[in-house]
Amino acid sequence: MRRLPAATLLALLTFAVAGPGVAGAHGLVGRQDLPIPRWLFAWAAAAVLVISFVALATLWPKPRLEQVDPTGGRRVLAVPRLPAEITCGVIGVLAFLAVVYAGIEGTQTETANLGPTTIYVVFWVGFPLLSLVFGDVFRAFSPWRAIGRAGGALLGRIGGASTPEPLTYPERLGRWPAALGILVFAWVELVYTGRYDPSQLSFMALGYAALQLVGMSLYGVETWITRADAFGVAFNLYGRIAPLHFEGGELRTRPWLSGLPSLKVVPGTVALLCVMIGTTSFDGFSLGPTWSSLAPDLQEQFVDLGLSLEHALELAFTVGLLVIVLLVAGLYRLGVAGMRSVGGTTKGGELAGRFAHSLVPISLAYVIAHYVSSVLYQGQAMIYLVSDPLGDGTNYFGTADRTIDYFISATGIWYLQVAALVLGHAAGLVLAHDRALVLYRKARDATRSQYWMLAVMVGFTSLGLWLLSAQAQ
Amino acid sequence: MTPAQRFALIAAAVVVLVGGFLVARGGDDKSTSTSTGSAVSTTLGTASAPSVTPATGTTPATVTTAPAPAPAVPAIVVTGGKPDGGIQKIEVAKGDEVRFTVRSDVADEIHVHGYDLMKDVAKGGSVSFAFPAKIDGIFEVELENAGVQIAELRVSP
Repeated sequence: MRRLPAATLLALLTFAVAGPGVAGAHGLVGRQDLPIPRWLFAWAAAAVLVISFVALATLWPKPRLEQVDPTGGRRVLAVPRLPAEITCGVIGVLAFLAVVYAGIEGTQTETANLGPTTIYVVFWVGFPLLSLVFGDVFRAFSPWRAIGRAGGALLGRIGGASTPEPLTYPERLGRWPAALGILVFAWVELVYTGRYDPSQLSFMALGYAALQLVGMSLYGVETWITRADAFGVAFNLYGRIAPLHFEGGELRTRPWLSGLPSLKVVPGTVALLCVMIGTTSFDGFSLGPTWSSLAPDLQEQFVDLGLSLEHALELAFTVGLLVIVLLVAGLYRLGVAGMRSVGGTTKGGELAGRFAHSLVPISLAYVIAHYVSSVLYQGQAMIYLVSDPLGDGTNYFGTADRTIDYFISATGIWYLQVAALVLGHAAGLVLAHDRALVLYRKARDATRSQYWMLAVMVGFTSLGLWLLSAQAQ
Repeated sequence: MTPAQRFALIAAAVVVLVGGFLVARGGDDKSTSTSTGSAVSTTLGTASAPSVTPATGTTPATVTTAPAPAPAVPAIVVTGGKPDGGIQKIEVAKGDEVRFTVRSDVADEIHVHGYDLMKDVAKGGSVSFAFPAKIDGIFEVELENAGVQIAELRVSP
């Protein structure tokens, strides 16, 4: 398992050297959020502290979320299971093929092609937002899951008893492949100079789907989707926050956050969450002045080593991305180490895992804080892109001439960002508190252990606020 | 802790937070009535080229017909396909007018993102922009074909 990070680095470096990009490094949206003003930063930071201490004093003394019965809750909607599953799967596969086709055959102007906006805005940010309310939506629409299941059903019918059983998924691998997948995706989005190139994105999407099909055929669809498929795993984590969930063709209610305590912690889960938080942090960090002054120096160093300007910059950004991810991981482990000092016999690594689920709302809060404006603004681009997906002047739905309406002011975006971070913090706190009550028999020890977790969370939330504020000015 | 105490503590926290928010927001409005009108300042300049002021000396051929243009219109000079002195900053308050001129030694199309304004500039020519700052945010101004950012337009609320 030690070898994995090194392998990751190596893979990224080879990728960085091998794949020169063509597209410019400017943004897809062409608009950035204004940094949050100082007063709002100060207020939010104070609010985080007040909420934390009030929570410590007033939160329930007996675990609550841990004991929620998943089959409880009210039934909101019931659909015939198989037809619904097939319909969603077909929609997912068709959408995937349309995006890939548009990317390859359409115009290579990134803003006029359906591909980049669909991948970076609708898929990467849209699914987490939907998951927050409706649970794991992606599971139903995942193109590779649909193909995998259809293929499995077909094979079962033809082969009958002779169909080979899937291999046993190595327990040690856990969610490490998903962590690696998110890291590589983030690398493409934030570092690679060809990040918005429609045809390159299409080929990468095809490559990723092919990899998933191989993985599913080896280890079984369900195992692969819940362990190794980066997007399947990440979006499922976000879906566990939701007050709704799908179960056997039924949409049922449940208390907010109650899907998270049942998260089975396997190796790589903490790493995955640190990658998710760390990469979003780097996205904010790389826009600020600290990084703008650091990056050229780093780039110069790599140019001196014989790299071209472009590759040197990519390498500098790669280093930045990895450093931030490691810092996030380090901060979390520091909190866990502190918690161990309270007592108890749990090992550090195991303890880290027991609290991993409390990072999920914080990770989603980061996503919302950084990308909510891209969904609200660039998301509207979908209205004209679906009418003219290839950018060749067609107008299927008569909406090709629409433009983006900047209907929310910068002030509105600020409040959304701060609200997301503060609520994410509170949610993480509640989850950690609940888990501590289970782990520590004495309520006093639980509270003491919570000081550490609280410090970690205040750290993450302050980092998130800082990334949105002064450092960007 | 009794339920009543718990409730009182939560209520107190809510009052403090809401009150704090109102005070902080109000206090800021008075203290920072930020610079109105447009100003251009050289930032993000590379370390090797310390603060080359772009506007001095090179007065752009006046394209505007307005008789009294109060502040000098910021000029972005593009030499060799790159902006002199790095990416230029143009700062405007929402509702004011954004004005700037681009003088370029390469032919290209100037694109103001977000506002989606595009104007062609000939080799050695110049082009002026004047439009109301309706959308807040940070926008790129770039040489569209070359894909080079030449300015950053910052519209604050």
